[in-house]
Amino acid sequence: MKVTVLQENLARGLSIVSRAVSPRSTLPVLANILLATDDGRLRLSATNLELGITCWIGAKIEEEGSTTVPSRTLSDLVGTMPDPQVSLTLNAQTQTLNVRSGSSTNDIKGIDAQEFPPLPVPDFADAIQINVADFKEMIQQVAFAASTDEARPVLMGVLVQVEKDVVTMAAADGFRLSVRKATLSSAVPQTISAIIPARALNELARIASDGEPSIQMVLPKGRGQVVFHVKDVELVSQLIDGTFPDYQQIIPRSYKSRTLIATASLLKACRQAEIFAREGSNVVRLNIKNSGELQPGEVEISAHSEETGSNETLVEATVEGIPLLIAFNVKYLREVLEVIKTPNVAVETSAANAPGVVRPVGDDDFLHVIMPMHLG
Amino acid sequence: MSIHLLAPEVASQIAAGEVVERPASVVKELVENALDAGAKTISVTIQEAGRRLIEVADDGRGIPAGELPLAVERHATSKLASAADLFHISTLGFRGEALASIGSVSRMTLVSRTNDSVTGAKIRVEAGRANPVEAVGAPVGTQIRVEDLFHNVPARLKFLKQDLTERRAVDGLLARYALAYPQVRFRLTDGATSTFQTSGDGDRRAILAALYGVEVGKQMLEVLAEEDGLRLTGFISPAALTRSNRKEITFFINGRWVSDTPLTQALLQAYHTLLMVGRFPLAALFLEIDPEEVDVNVHPAKAEVRFRSQDRIFSFVSRSTRRALLAYSPIPALPPTQNLWGGGQLSVGSEQSSGNSGQWSENSDQWSVEGGQLPVESGQLPVNGAPTQTAAFNLPLLRLIGQVGTTYLIAEGPDGLYLIDQHAAHERVLFEKLMLQHAQKNIAAQALLAPLVVTLPPQSASVLSGQLAALSRFGFAVTEFGPNTFQIRAMPVLFGNADPAAALRALVEDFEEDETPLQNELEAKIAGRVCKRLAVKAGQTLSPAEQRALLIDLENCDSPRTCPHGRPTMIHLSVDMLERQFGRKGAR
Repeated sequence: MKVTVLQENLARGLSIVSRAVSPRSTLPVLANILLATDDGRLRLSATNLELGITCWIGAKIEEEGSTTVPSRTLSDLVGTMPDPQVSLTLNAQTQTLNVRSGSSTNDIKGIDAQEFPPLPVPDFADAIQINVADFKEMIQQVAFAASTDEARPVLMGVLVQVEKDVVTMAAADGFRLSVRKATLSSAVPQTISAIIPARALNELARIASDGEPSIQMVLPKGRGQVVFHVKDVELVSQLIDGTFPDYQQIIPRSYKSRTLIATASLLKACRQAEIFAREGSNVVRLNIKNSGELQPGEVEISAHSEETGSNETLVEATVEGIPLLIAFNVKYLREVLEVIKTPNVAVETSAANAPGVVRPVGDDDFLHVIMPMHLG
Repeated sequence: MSIHLLAPEVASQIAAGEVVERPASVVKELVENALDAGAKTISVTIQEAGRRLIEVADDGRGIPAGELPLAVERHATSKLASAADLFHISTLGFRGEALASIGSVSRMTLVSRTNDSVTGAKIRVEAGRANPVEAVGAPVGTQIRVEDLFHNVPARLKFLKQDLTERRAVDGLLARYALAYPQVRFRLTDGATSTFQTSGDGDRRAILAALYGVEVGKQMLEVLAEEDGLRLTGFISPAALTRSNRKEITFFINGRWVSDTPLTQALLQAYHTLLMVGRFPLAALFLEIDPEEVDVNVHPAKAEVRFRSQDRIFSFVSRSTRRALLAYSPIPALPPTQNLWGGGQLSVGSEQSSGNSGQWSENSDQWSVEGGQLPVESGQLPVNGAPTQTAAFNLPLLRLIGQVGTTYLIAEGPDGLYLIDQHAAHERVLFEKLMLQHAQKNIAAQALLAPLVVTLPPQSASVLSGQLAALSRFGFAVTEFGPNTFQIRAMPVLFGNADPAAALRALVEDFEEDETPLQNELEAKIAGRVCKRLAVKAGQTLSPAEQRALLIDLENCDSPRTCPHGRPTMIHLSVDMLERQFGRKGAR
């Protein structure tokens, strides 16, 4: 293999794929990045067997070939190269990759490309096309609610469902649920339902830049995998086996109290309350006071810590229904407010021990359910 | 090969395998017989670690000449008449197997004389075959000579360890029995030399010294506790004195040495947060309990027992030992033989500040450990971390001298010098402060999005059913959902994102082991937070005011001597030791 690439392209490609490298593995080749000539371009791939990322960069190919080299070594090296041109030459006998740029020349010991796990080459002919900006926002609004507890793998994923021209994402960690819908530009003939690891979606959101028109999604039959393609990057992830809880049942059908409140004010109050709440059990109390004929309603947001003290913020609100005192995990409340883009949110609940529903006002595509806390 | 009944010799050799596996087990069976016979003096003689000869002589009741042939038969005993007797056994033996078993694998001679008979009688058993009884002259009591042990079982012989190891097993065994029966005189003779002897005057501490050595024996803490029908006596090691294994943990239950017992776990529980990981205490504890409450007929060598109400006994042992430990927990001190400027090894075999440590002796006796004995009290005391009534045993007043290496504080106390690890000390201070704050507050509950159904094993389920009402106090909302099945609707925030089912199991375990529920989780969480985020680190310069504040806070702690992870917070250099190091006093 003998290729010449632009330092800038190589550095960018490495930074994209290296997120899938498994730095501590008993399989040494998983710590490596695959470099292979592919139809006039250089293909970079990395995988930890759950997630795989491939990126193609433009290259001047003098001799075809492939090898794998340690990700860290190559990335660090390329990052420091001053010359715009980098030439990569493989000594196939010794599997040593010569990396030359300007006056600097380096030999990196590699592992035969044959040992690198093959990544699927799917057919994108009937791929689902999703708008990049929509998809990134969906991921941002849903993936954070997935669990990090490996005891329940299903909850570490995001349920992605496609039916006709509606795509829905849902994630839950046992205490909260985030659901977001979006409309596709064209209807899809088949129905799709898959649990995709939240980590893979977060990586995808990071890779996909807003400038691209669409993301293509394919679920090759019987492989238990999902493949995303955006411009010159492909991301493949194992799906999570199992049954996602029926979240429709969890979403309350009615409420007895509905509070309309400015998103920014409530978020600020939560951030302040968290300073005190984080020392203890993360409890924030919302004392929702009814709006009367003449005076407006308000919500008193408070937190209390034995160690540091207490905090109280009053935020004006429009309250319909009964007044209520309810407690939430402040982290959960803050995290959902941070991903809501509308100026106002609605908090709907029925009792101190009933779930709270947070909805952006004027956007029916998103909703978030948080279970309350109670104190002994 | 056709099926046939085994010859009696073969059958008894097989049975012997369960009871007699090494010389020490022969000694154990014979000593237990002697104790059952009411002996006041027991002398044991061994040669070549017991391979050549084991002789146990006692001055007990003896066996009438007419009963001797029966005594060496299998399933022959005077200690049991009917199966019903099995449930209130007060003798050590009862299976009627020991003599027959020993006789089948050795050449055994039994000489015995009862008080009312003029002559003694002798019977000889060789490899399981008994010879006729002869009349001989003998003192009152029984002498049993076991020669050429395992001469007819080469396999067993091959598996014996080195002489030294086998002898140490005999030594340890006899010392432990001596400790359990301080009113009986024990003597162990190896060849011609007498290696171990007790006076039989009931002084256990002297025997302790014979078992563990003088230094260690002096440091052991006495445990004495009584509570409706249970009585626990004995000795446990202070937190600074540890071993790397559990071999030195000895339990006697109603005078019987039991090696495999859940009580070991109860004892380790008492040392929770006081010991480093992988270190174990030394202990010789004697539990007295109504014989009906305990089943000893579990294991042929009676090494295992079962309790009728295990939880109660577990908690009793744990509480009693914890109390003794907290009250007398000493500070690790450098042994006087160690060069101060040499390696800073914090040895475990350390000496406690002794009563004669110069001019401060009057003040120091309140927390000196020697002969320390706790008053018997049967009140309830919190088991872990919670405030205890041990203020009198806390640190003495310390005068700050300064900081060394931006890591240690030096202070002077009434009896010498204290080196204090600032990080460990601050950890302890913060840990106790936060634990106190958390103790006053209810545990917050986080409701679950969807109720989770868990099935528990039957006995855990019954424990949990009994506690359902109390669960909300610990942040759980749990209802019964069928046989052994429960529905979790809320769980404590303490567990973070963990699986609710795992959290519930942790709680049930706490209930089963009779611990303060969720105390471990809380302690671990607080200890972790204190260590990572709050406590001053080594290498941090402290102003004199900060140093003084830390010392005062530490003095007010309930257990100031260890950090929450069990490492020592301080090292003590006694006046006495300093004097020896400087050659002002002869090194003894």
